[in-house]
Amino acid sequence: MPQILIPAPLRQYAAGQSSVEAPGATVAEVLTALTSKYPDLRKHLFNDQGALRSFVNVYVADEDIRYLQKEQTAVSANETLTIVPSIAGGAR
Amino acid sequence: MIEILPAPWEVILGHARACYPRECCGILLGEVGADGGRRVTIAVACVNAYDGDQADRFELAPADQFEAQRLARREGLEVLGFFHSHPDCDAYFSATDLAHSWPWYSNLVVCVRQGEFDHARAFRANETQTESTPEELICPKS
Repeated sequence: MPQILIPAPLRQYAAGQSSVEAPGATVAEVLTALTSKYPDLRKHLFNDQGALRSFVNVYVADEDIRYLQKEQTAVSANETLTIVPSIAGGAR
Repeated sequence: MIEILPAPWEVILGHARACYPRECCGILLGEVGADGGRRVTIAVACVNAYDGDQADRFELAPADQFEAQRLARREGLEVLGFFHSHPDCDAYFSATDLAHSWPWYSNLVVCVRQGEFDHARAFRANETQTESTPEELICPKS
C-alpha cells in the first residue's frame, strides 16, 4: 500500500503520525483515501473545488507531480508520496 | 523558543550577506525538545526561486524542500522552519510572509543593512495564517 509522508504541521490532523498508508492507484485516489481516514486533513490539502491547494506540493518517489500527470499520476503499492508545503514571502 | 547553534547560524548569516541586496532563503532542521523548545542544528541555504524582483520577495523551490525533508529523515531531525532575509529592512513578519507561510513552522527573518547582519527575529503563524506571534530566539552573538 502506498505510504504518505506527513509534514509536521499536518500531523495533528493525522493522529500525530509522520507517515500513513492509504490505498489507491493514483495520487488522487491515495489522497482521497487518506482524507477519508483523517477528515480533518481535507481542508488543509484541498480547496473548495476539491483540487489540491496551491500551497501544497506532492511528490511521488522523487518526482513532483506537477511535472507528471498531476493528481492523476500513477502510484504503485510500494511507492511513497511526500507532502511538501509551499513557502514564500518577502518584506513587501 | 527556538535556539540556533553556531554552525547553522553562520550558514544563515553567510547566505544573507552573499545574497544582499536580494532576499535569501533557506530551511532550518533540528530537534524539538520534550518542553517544546526547538534547537536548529542544520541550516540549508537555498536558491531564491522567486521569478521577479528579489529585493523584497523570496520563494523556496519545492525540490529544495523535498531534499531537506529527506535529509531531515536521514539525520533523525525535523524540518523546524525556514529563514529569509530582509535587505535594508527591519526583521518583521510581513503580510506577504504571513500569507505564504504555514502554521507550526518557525520563521526566522534576518535584517541585513548595507550587506551586514543587523538583527533577527523569529515568528510563528497561527492555524489560519491570519496572525503571527513572535517566538523567543536564542542565537550566537554576531
